[in-house]
Amino acid sequence: MKGVGADEPYWLALSAGQLKLPECSACGKAHWPAVWRCGECGSWEQQWTSFELSGTIFSWARTWHEFGASKEFGLPYVSVVVEIDNADGRRLLGTIAGNAESIRIGDRVHGEVISVNIEDENIPALRWYLDGNSSTSKASNSGATL
Amino acid sequence: MNRASQGKVSVAGIGLRQYKRGGAPLPEQGILIRAIIDACEDAGFNPADIDGFVSYGDDKNEPVRLMPDLGTKELRWNSQVWGGGGGGIAAAFGQAAAAIISGQANAVIVFRALAQGNSGRMSAAVMRHHLNDHIVGAGLIAPAQICALRAQRMFEYYQVPHSVTEELVKASYYHGSKNPEASSFGKELDIEAYRTGRWVTEPFRLFDCSRENDGAGALLLVSTERARDLKKPPIRLLGVANGASQGWGDLIENDTDYASAGFKPVADRLWEQTGLQPKDIDVVQLYENFSAQGIASLIDHGFCNYENVAEFVKFENLIADGGKLPVNTSGGNFAQGFIHGVGTPIEAVRVLRGESANPVTNAKTCLLAGGPGAPTVSSAIFGVDDR
Repeated sequence: MKGVGADEPYWLALSAGQLKLPECSACGKAHWPAVWRCGECGSWEQQWTSFELSGTIFSWARTWHEFGASKEFGLPYVSVVVEIDNADGRRLLGTIAGNAESIRIGDRVHGEVISVNIEDENIPALRWYLDGNSSTSKASNSGATL
Repeated sequence: MNRASQGKVSVAGIGLRQYKRGGAPLPEQGILIRAIIDACEDAGFNPADIDGFVSYGDDKNEPVRLMPDLGTKELRWNSQVWGGGGGGIAAAFGQAAAAIISGQANAVIVFRALAQGNSGRMSAAVMRHHLNDHIVGAGLIAPAQICALRAQRMFEYYQVPHSVTEELVKASYYHGSKNPEASSFGKELDIEAYRTGRWVTEPFRLFDCSRENDGAGALLLVSTERARDLKKPPIRLLGVANGASQGWGDLIENDTDYASAGFKPVADRLWEQTGLQPKDIDVVQLYENFSAQGIASLIDHGFCNYENVAEFVKFENLIADGGKLPVNTSGGNFAQGFIHGVGTPIEAVRVLRGESANPVTNAKTCLLAGGPGAPTVSSAIFGVDDR
């Protein structure tokens, strides 16, 4: 297994319990997935900035069928796409703690780094927790545009 | 495809061998040879004269290995569209046409062959193409799960009603029930079974998912001029487009138009190339891996939008004969069978020839909307030879 593109600093930070995402050092473009070269301005310099593990649910899917994912997830489990706070709309994947029966798009979440065993290898991954009262209104979610 | 190329290449022959998943009587390569010979017999064409091959979706049957069985005199073109899913299915016709129009080959087979005993579960093979630590760490290892995330966004955020997927699945099974070659022949969809089917990944229940088959499909393409001398009337390739625009691709779920199926730029190019519009399309073969992605594909191609989707996607509109836009006249991937979608272009040809089990009177144009939601997608328009 592997990451995507130039994302090694992401995995190193995550292994240390931190979230870091890249921006172009020259033009400031927020990239994700990570790139070696900024396709906007041509710069090869990226800087990695720390972000809080908090955001909003962009989408979710609850899996009941045994597809052969890591046993640690059990069944059913909820996979989520989370729009990270203050990160130019960048989204990360993860799972929600518990069955999260009430989960809705727009819910606020905070996360932690867990270790997941996949094919005899431990990889860091994101586990998200629903924050208490949260908004489910469309306006709270600044996601994809039509 | 530019205007000068439009309609210059045609499908002259088709062959389809379909079996239950795990039930192919021969290994993959064997059933593929049969399908190719079927396509040649359909066209009245000597298999030894085939000089090109195109596939998609990580097909494992390298064309050079088919030469001894086909008696191939000279292999002049062999290529495959990038991408692990069905996103490349229509693009394969673009490659075949490019080969023929540019004079690099004369007779090209577009094919896909799949037998579980050789390639394993198709869904697993598709996904292996795309797996990385970001997605497996989130428990995502099957196409159904990724498509479920996008579908949930479409249902919940854009408020597309769940009823539309039921209408689409029902229409597919209605057609399948009347198609003797379909896995669902003789069986219409039991609506209660659909509504209460077991959850696969919410929002998908069992019948929102296409069922895999073993099998092989082959389509013979030659110049339209040459096709006019063969057994069956030519079915012309009027336009084809593939790819992705900025903000869409293999982006670990960071795609801009997330709930879409990725077709908007491809569809725009297709309409521009052909001078046609959605209203000019008589019938659609819609690659539906999952019900919601079929809906997203119809929206992307401009047949309806988030506001009027429930008015448009209704059973009575989607069925042959007489519906406003008959969709998946063979039963499609849901109800005819799923050999990585290769049945959909074959049905496009059949319905335009008037050979479909669910005929569409006077159908002159058929849209093939390829695998939706893939990092690269493709679509094509086929038409009768009305010159």
